[in-house]
Amino acid sequence: MNLIWKLLRRHISAGQLAGFFLANLLGMLTVLLSVQFYEDIIPAFGGEDSFIKNTYVILSKRIAASSTLNGETQSFTDSEIAEIEGQRFASNVGRFTASQYQVYASLSMGGSQMGTSMFFESVPDEFVDVTWPPQRDGEVPIILPRAYLALYNFGFAQSQSLPKLSEGVVSMIQLDLRLRGEGGAEQLMKGRVVGFSTRLNTVLVPASFMQQSNLQLAPSSKPQPTRIIVEVKNPADDAIASFVQDHGYEIDDNSLDAGRTTYFLKIVAGIVMAVGLLISALSFYILMLSIFLLVQKNADKLQNLLLIGYSPARVSLPYQLLTIGLNVLVLILAIAALLWIRQLYLERLWQIFPALSEGPLTPALLVGIAIFIVVSFFNIIAIRRKINRLTKA
Amino acid sequence: MNKITILNALPRVFAGRTDISSDTWQREVVLERGHVYLIEAASGTGKSSLCSYLIGYRDDYEGQIFFDDRDIRQLHQADWTQLRQRSLSYMFQELRLFPELTAWENVQVKNQLTSHKSSAEIESWFERLGIADRRTTKLAHMSFGQQQRVAFMRALCQPFDFILADEPVSHLDKENSAIMGAMLLDEAHRQGAGIIVTSIGHHMDLPYEKTFRL
Repeated sequence: MNLIWKLLRRHISAGQLAGFFLANLLGMLTVLLSVQFYEDIIPAFGGEDSFIKNTYVILSKRIAASSTLNGETQSFTDSEIAEIEGQRFASNVGRFTASQYQVYASLSMGGSQMGTSMFFESVPDEFVDVTWPPQRDGEVPIILPRAYLALYNFGFAQSQSLPKLSEGVVSMIQLDLRLRGEGGAEQLMKGRVVGFSTRLNTVLVPASFMQQSNLQLAPSSKPQPTRIIVEVKNPADDAIASFVQDHGYEIDDNSLDAGRTTYFLKIVAGIVMAVGLLISALSFYILMLSIFLLVQKNADKLQNLLLIGYSPARVSLPYQLLTIGLNVLVLILAIAALLWIRQLYLERLWQIFPALSEGPLTPALLVGIAIFIVVSFFNIIAIRRKINRLTKA
Repeated sequence: MNKITILNALPRVFAGRTDISSDTWQREVVLERGHVYLIEAASGTGKSSLCSYLIGYRDDYEGQIFFDDRDIRQLHQADWTQLRQRSLSYMFQELRLFPELTAWENVQVKNQLTSHKSSAEIESWFERLGIADRRTTKLAHMSFGQQQRVAFMRALCQPFDFILADEPVSHLDKENSAIMGAMLLDEAHRQGAGIIVTSIGHHMDLPYEKTFRL
């Protein structure tokens, strides 16, 4: 083999092979990055909110300047709710119940105390897509909007030099709750954040706790819902939009936005991947030209080897190994570069989506290996065919 | 392989010519294992073409050529590779050596493929042919006569039923020519092989049993 290599390595152009190498590396890396970015970023938009299904929409009344001035109520009346229930698109309707008492939540962190007035809301359990953890005595499970945490991390904590909190850390903190109702009735409790929701724009507690606490602290007031949660048969139904418009309601269409973003990202990732594949294809073309030139320049030698009894497979082998070696190197370097770049963008992403979990690496690796196999396969075939043509005058 | 039959063959470039008088073209020629043949030719009578047909490099001829009972047009590349390694040795007129390798490496290129001869044996050939001191010389720096001896040794580095030597001694003196002839006979006898030598005048001194004129 050494003598054969000594003969056939003549006329190998380092420049051409380097050109192929860089082009193929760029193509491969572009493809792998598009796949990996897609895997990493899509869950941030496309993932269904784990607390509320996409077939649920939330209705509220539009707040206009006039209604603020003349004190018009924003709550839904029983007849309005009955009307919504009567619509064909609605299969189930639930009311948001707000707490009828004051809530003050505080927590002590590193010696300093922070506290805020707030409120609770609940929806019927069948609309919450999570089983509430068993209520321990005096501890209330709470689901917070994810936006609140972002607001704190990027708006508040940053300017007040307070520590940023991940979702995991928040879930470990116990809140001190003071509930104050009619006639100075007061109740001290503990609260714990058990999850974050992207779609429910409220501080959610279990319906059973809400019912019980309203009864104890505000027995005389009758809560009127300002928001309604509706399970619809088909979220894309036009009837929903026209009904909402006719009645001056607002609809929370978060899920629709996420859907559009996901779609857009898919297209962008697809375009980037296509460009990467195109670069890969062109680099493959460069390699083939280079190898063909090499075979042509060494045609006499190759022919002599064939005529003294070397098989086409045997004289093809050095060039095939050369291309496979290059392809392996490209694959390894592309994966290494992918991991490095991914680390860079993940750090940025985590600032925007602290809860984002990394997507799997497997799809990108499989795509890389698939490209390697396809490119190597065609390299091997093309070299062999080129050399077969030398066997006859 | 026991015999080579050339049946009514004619290079296509000669097609239509009426002035061909040859013992080989458009005749039936049978070459058998264990015998020694000379093919004498004048320039331009198709000697190189015949050799190219027999080694499977060209097939632009009319008529048929058989190895045993098999028409060689039916042979696949894999068959030719096997033949060139195991049954049919060919010393090219144009040598087809590798100028960037040394004399020794040129012989080894073949012997590594077949593992037919020991290094000691090849060394003794270099001695006998009087080029032992040129073993590590790049082929490009050797005279054609020296290169012919290298090509000859390379041709012996394989088992064969027939050895085809295309003007093997065109650039050799009588003495070296005789040594080469003796080595060739020796190798062929040991394997019971047939020898086919071509010549356009100055030919190797061998006990030819039959001479064909092209």
